[in-house]
Parts: sequence; structure tokens; C-alpha cells
Amino acid sequence: MIIQLKKFGKTLVSRPSGKEAWLAFQPVLNETVPGEEVTVDFTDVLVLTPSWADEFLTPLYNSYGEKVKLINTGNPSIKASLAILGR
Amino acid sequence: MNKLIPISEAARRLGVSIDTLRRWDSAGQLSSVRSGPRGHRFYNLSDIEQFTKDQYSIAKKWVESSFAVEPESYMYCQTRDVFQARLESFQAKLSMEMSISTTSLITAVSGEIGNNSFDHNLGNWPDVTGIIFSYSLRKRIVVLADRGQGILKTLKRVKPELVDFQGALKTAFTETISGRLPEARGNGLKFVKEVIVKNPFTLYFQTGDAYLYLKQYDKEVEVKQANTFIRGCFAQISFEGGI
Repeated sequence: MIIQLKKFGKTLVSRPSGKEAWLAFQPVLNETVPGEEVTVDFTDVLVLTPSWADEFLTPLYNSYGEKVKLINTGNPSIKASLAILGR
Repeated sequence: MNKLIPISEAARRLGVSIDTLRRWDSAGQLSSVRSGPRGHRFYNLSDIEQFTKDQYSIAKKWVESSFAVEPESYMYCQTRDVFQARLESFQAKLSMEMSISTTSLITAVSGEIGNNSFDHNLGNWPDVTGIIFSYSLRKRIVVLADRGQGILKTLKRVKPELVDFQGALKTAFTETISGRLPEARGNGLKFVKEVIVKNPFTLYFQTGDAYLYLKQYDKEVEVKQANTFIRGCFAQISFEGGI
């Protein structure tokens, strides 16, 4: 499965919007088959903060662990946010 | 002689829309000079610069004052939704003048500080709800301020040994600790610090009577005693060195 984060917005900043994105995406995530890789694509995301990422990526890692792959993370705020979260 | 600039240039410098400037002109808040055969609005450059300067002193006075009043609407974000909309507008304007790197990082840092105010004061605002979010693209400065509970009160709930604002401010910028336990939080201001010290930016941050000033290459967070006392938090981010 590929999650295109830009579908949640290009300025991903606040905790409530991160939490809402996580909750809203549950029905789609529930369609994954056991062992399936979950790829998070950051293409076209302009701004990411650790707050938003913590609400979305942390539970994703808690659920899927090593099956989570992050791609197109070159944007500076994405890199800085992932670094502070230890991803 | 005072230099005149067109309304579009004045709007760009202040980070507001042309319609807002027209409204301010009609209300006498910031007067234009009519010129040319069609009476187009122009502005004295010195008036714009003074107005910009005033925006920051207004924000500082607002958090220092013992009287709780709502700020002027153009800089006031009563709710998080208003802040998000204005942050995205700021980001769009910034992207026209600065690199992707500066735009992305300054927007992220501003977003973290502004949202922190909402996160930690939701349902507990002592008087005025919300924050001031103001900026000048020309001066490359962002100002954020809230009349919330301040960092000491927030962190004391999870670190009762904190006794003063200086200790609380240092903790907030150096330890992964959250005033919203049991939620896993507490990275926001560490993120802000990391971005500032790794880029040509500066940050002045004050809560209560404690402040810090961070700049590129700083290794330590040095918290000092301020001459003034503020309610909540006040932050000024400068990205003058950004490209």
C-alpha cells in the first residue's frame, strides 16, 4: 500500500490534523493484507512538523513496524521532523 | 523626500492583502496617499516601516499587559483553524521570495510554536483565547504571542520540582518532556531549537521573566532573566540570513 501524504494537505502542521488524518485513514489501512508493506510517500508535501508526524507516523510504526517505508523525504522540514522523531 | 510605493508593494511588505490595506485606509488605521489621474493609492515607505515596527511592539505589549484585550483582527488568530489558514497564506508569500528550504523550515517552526500555544491552553486560556501571528517579509521576521498559562505552569504538572520560569524554559527546549502526559509529546520546541541552530535563523523566546536567544551554530541553550514579565509566551523568529 502507498499512502500519498499530499492527499491530507501540503502543510501538515498541527496535532489535531495529524490525528484526524490517522483516524480517517483507518478504513483504508484495514484493507492491508498481513505482511504487506506500507509506503508513505511525501511527494509534494511542503511543510511537515514533528507534531503532525507524531500523530500519524508514530501509530503507523506501532501498527506496522518494519513494514513501514518512507519515500521522497527530501524536503528540509520533513527531514528535520523525521530526525527529531528518530525515524 | 519620502518615497512612495504602490499599494501592491505595501501589501507585500506587510504580508496582508490589498483589500485589507483598502479597509485600513478607509478606517484611518493606515492612510494612503492618492496620486495619479485615477487617484491610485500609494503609501509613504516610512509609514509602512513604522507600521511594521509597531506590529511587534503591539504583540509584546499585548503579552505584557495586565489588561486582557483582543488584538486587532489582522494579527489575531482566535482559533487554530484561523492560524492554519494564515500560516498557509504566509507560506505561499514566503515561497515567492525565499528558497524552498527557508520557506519550509520557517513555516514549520512558526507552525510548531503557534500550535504549541493551542495545544497547551485548550480549555484553559486564562483570559484571551488564541494567539497573535504577525510577520514582515521585508524584515524577515515572524512574531507569535499568546496570553496562555506559560511554560512553567504547563511543565510543573509533570516536573513539580520546577520552581521558576528559567528552569521551565530550559527544560522545554532541551528535554523531551510533555505537559500533556500521558500523551507522548514534547518534541516541538526541541525541533524548533534544532532548526534554528542548523540554519541562518535566530529566535527570541520569552515566557514569564525568562528568555533565550538562539542563533546558528549555538551549542547550548542559555536562558536569562528578562527585564519584563509576560503572560504566556512570546517568540520572534528572524530569517534575515535565509536565502
